[in-house]
Amino acid sequence: MTTLIDGRGREPPEPMVLTLEALDTLAEGDELLLLLYCQPHPLFSILRKNGYAWKEDVRADGTHEIRIRKSPG
Amino acid sequence: MHPHLSFDQAPPISVPYRFFLVAPWFGVMAGILLAWSGGDALASRWTPEALALTHLIAVGFMLQAMCGALLQFIPVAVGANVWRPKLVANIVQPLLLLATLLLVGGLLFSRPGMFTVAVPLFLLALGGLVVVVALALWRTPATSMSLWALRLAIGGLAVTALLGSLLAESLARGLSVPMLELTDVHLAWGLGGWSLMLLAGVSYQVVPMFQLTRPYPPWLTRWFAPLMLLMLLAWSAQIFIDPDRWLPLIALCLLLMLSAYAGSTLWLQYTRRRKIHDATSLYFRVAMLSMLAFVVSGAVFFLFPDLGADPRFAVWLGVLAFAGVFVSAISGMMYKIMPFLNWLHLQLLNPPLSAMPNMNRMIPADAMTGQLRLHVLAVVLLLAAVWQPGLARLAGAAFAVSCAWLGWNLVAAVRRYRTFKDQIRAAALHC
Repeated sequence: MTTLIDGRGREPPEPMVLTLEALDTLAEGDELLLLLYCQPHPLFSILRKNGYAWKEDVRADGTHEIRIRKSPG
Repeated sequence: MHPHLSFDQAPPISVPYRFFLVAPWFGVMAGILLAWSGGDALASRWTPEALALTHLIAVGFMLQAMCGALLQFIPVAVGANVWRPKLVANIVQPLLLLATLLLVGGLLFSRPGMFTVAVPLFLLALGGLVVVVALALWRTPATSMSLWALRLAIGGLAVTALLGSLLAESLARGLSVPMLELTDVHLAWGLGGWSLMLLAGVSYQVVPMFQLTRPYPPWLTRWFAPLMLLMLLAWSAQIFIDPDRWLPLIALCLLLMLSAYAGSTLWLQYTRRRKIHDATSLYFRVAMLSMLAFVVSGAVFFLFPDLGADPRFAVWLGVLAFAGVFVSAISGMMYKIMPFLNWLHLQLLNPPLSAMPNMNRMIPADAMTGQLRLHVLAVVLLLAAVWQPGLARLAGAAFAVSCAWLGWNLVAAVRRYRTFKDQIRAAALHC
């Protein structure tokens, strides 16, 4: 299952809060899709330190598409 | 709130705050100096008062705030971790403070001897800052366009500081250097290479993030920094060769670049889906409109050289650039960054729901918009005072009160932070 968080029209810290809340309930094998207009470096370091893997793509309109999953193992 | 997540070590909140809290009071000093000196201060850019005012704003207000923002911003925006930020801030900030006071004193009282003390302090403070920030910016794996703008900005700061030191030492020791050309090159690197590049690099991230706009167009973010570097290098060549033929062409290109950046920012604000009219958005609008006014004024300079020959014209451009563009943009940025940092650092304490702080309660909205209105009035009065010297004292007083109000609002944010922190700790004890 994929959970979508569109942070593009939301004022900080809302996208970060929503993402962290969604991570709390993210099940093994599920995916969290986060859409932003910037690279969220603080989130990346939280993900790295807490056992999550992510993949980032940038769309033509400048949207950063970040797909987050629990790291295997 | 997220007890099982470990957050990365953010720079301590005191790192940016010790710079932010000092910056507005240099603006207060500038306003008081103008109110004290009266209209003669603005007769040309070369009066001792005008030179002192310029450096109170550029080195006192702007550099303090921008150093604090840089140390906070680069780990968050481009993932670049500065070596021991608290130690760096504890050394750099007081050195800068002292060096600025000495420089301004030397300029105001025509005591070049004070420069010989100020210069080593500047070189030590800014040299250290440039080295640690440059290392962090070159080591980060990030690839965003902000990164290139920030790299140019830190290089621009180094060039500005070196040229400024050379000018000050030349005055102190009576060295023979092309003073006018060096001053123009020092000014171009300070405003274009350092201040504008930092503003642009921060804007690429912060405008879409906090003002809820679309991203800046890729053609702008890709080409703005390298073109600026090219233009600044060409501009700097005037020290060595006769610039008559190509200098106007470079100035024209620079004006076009400024209008592209300011126009894009205003367009992004105008076309955003969710309209917000908080102090930060409005401050940015004032800054970008001032930049466009600077562009139009610069164009008039080329079209009507007789008007441009009036020494007050350069002062007019200076008021637009320093008070209109940079003081506005920096004030707006601090009004957004401080509440956000308050929130972020309070989150790290894992507050219970009952003590959850609201970011919008960190600085009262009315206080911010009231201060913004006074700032706009002060800028209008300053511009009018360039041509009507009788208004200079009033303009100076308005600017001083506006900056004092800004400083008070920032202190209020710190007091709110402490209050929330105490509440969270008290709530934790009762759990």
